[in-house]
Amino acid sequence: MNLDNFKKTWEQQNSDTDAAIKINQAMLAEMKVNKQIKTLNNMKWARTLESVVFFYIIFLLGQYIATDFSLSASTISAFILNIFAIVGLAGNIGQIVLISKIDYAKPVSQLQKDIYSVCSHKLQLTKLLLMSAPFYMAYVFLGFDLLLGVDLFQHLEQQMVLFYSVTSLLLLTGILFLLAKLHYKNIGTSWVKSTIQFIVGERLVNMAQFINSIEATDS
Amino acid sequence: MNTTKKTLFAQTMEQHKGIVYKIVNSYCQNQDDRQDLAQEILTTMWLAFDNYDTEYKFSTWMYRIALNVAISYYRKDSKRVDRANADEECIVKIADFSQEGERSEDVVLLYRFIGQLDKLNKAIMLLYLESEPYDSIANSLGMSKTNVATRIGRIKETLKNQFETQES
Repeated sequence: MNLDNFKKTWEQQNSDTDAAIKINQAMLAEMKVNKQIKTLNNMKWARTLESVVFFYIIFLLGQYIATDFSLSASTISAFILNIFAIVGLAGNIGQIVLISKIDYAKPVSQLQKDIYSVCSHKLQLTKLLLMSAPFYMAYVFLGFDLLLGVDLFQHLEQQMVLFYSVTSLLLLTGILFLLAKLHYKNIGTSWVKSTIQFIVGERLVNMAQFINSIEATDS
Repeated sequence: MNTTKKTLFAQTMEQHKGIVYKIVNSYCQNQDDRQDLAQEILTTMWLAFDNYDTEYKFSTWMYRIALNVAISYYRKDSKRVDRANADEECIVKIADFSQEGERSEDVVLLYRFIGQLDKLNKAIMLLYLESEPYDSIANSLGMSKTNVATRIGRIKETLKNQFETQES
């Protein structure tokens, strides 16, 4: 048997399929929302809540910068962390817009990419956190100033400053490499697959594999 | 949605419910998942019905939505949910494929073959079997016509090899 014979078999089964499925029209008409739409709505609410948190952080850090507007280590630290919070807020707003635009009538590859973007939020958030890791001293400087009122940078020796700078630079290089790799295009690499599965779950891995399979033969 | 639209939707779904049946049997391995996916497809159709794009044939448009729902369908713990919903009234009832004695051997074989394909090839195969032209398949899936043709060629080759192995 070949694919053309299969086509004939397929056409012949049409009359049988009608009897094999029964729709409760009354119940269907009462349906306002289904599981997938409910999940998307929940995601929209979660992103809105996160946006409020990010906005609050931006506000607090902005207030801190405004009260002590100088080139001190703690003010620069607050400024750096504020940039991350702004990126986080922008990402969340982007997610809310994207969720609102989810349309199941779109071509399959396009919709699956949209759903991937929506579902990969946790991965993006982790990436943002990791990206701030090379600037770990910003948290330390700010923490010392807020909790103890001490400008730690002033008390650091030249060698220590150099050590922290080199560590940050090395961390930045490593993190940039890691973040570039954590992309659906690299899902074939086992450690990327395991990392994404660990952070977000199996569903995102499946979606990444699907998008990849469409793009692999198209490119 | 007003009564006229409800009636129109009901009639349209009755006409095209075969699409739902074919998709759920191609994408799901067990009966509970089939039932659940069929419900998801129908409710998504209901929610999207107002935005039907008349540029497309209804069956083509419905296939696109149903495939999108099937491909993005994911149940983490189907058994737990199934037990919870076992006694609930369902929007849709699908006959258990494995219990349908009158199904021809060829149809069973066909679904078994489709079941072995990956999600994308399943979608291509379903649209191909519905005699959709290559450019329509490409348009629905958002890929190039060449890619569609290449994949259909590969599916044909796999099928040929499978039958040769079975016969020998």
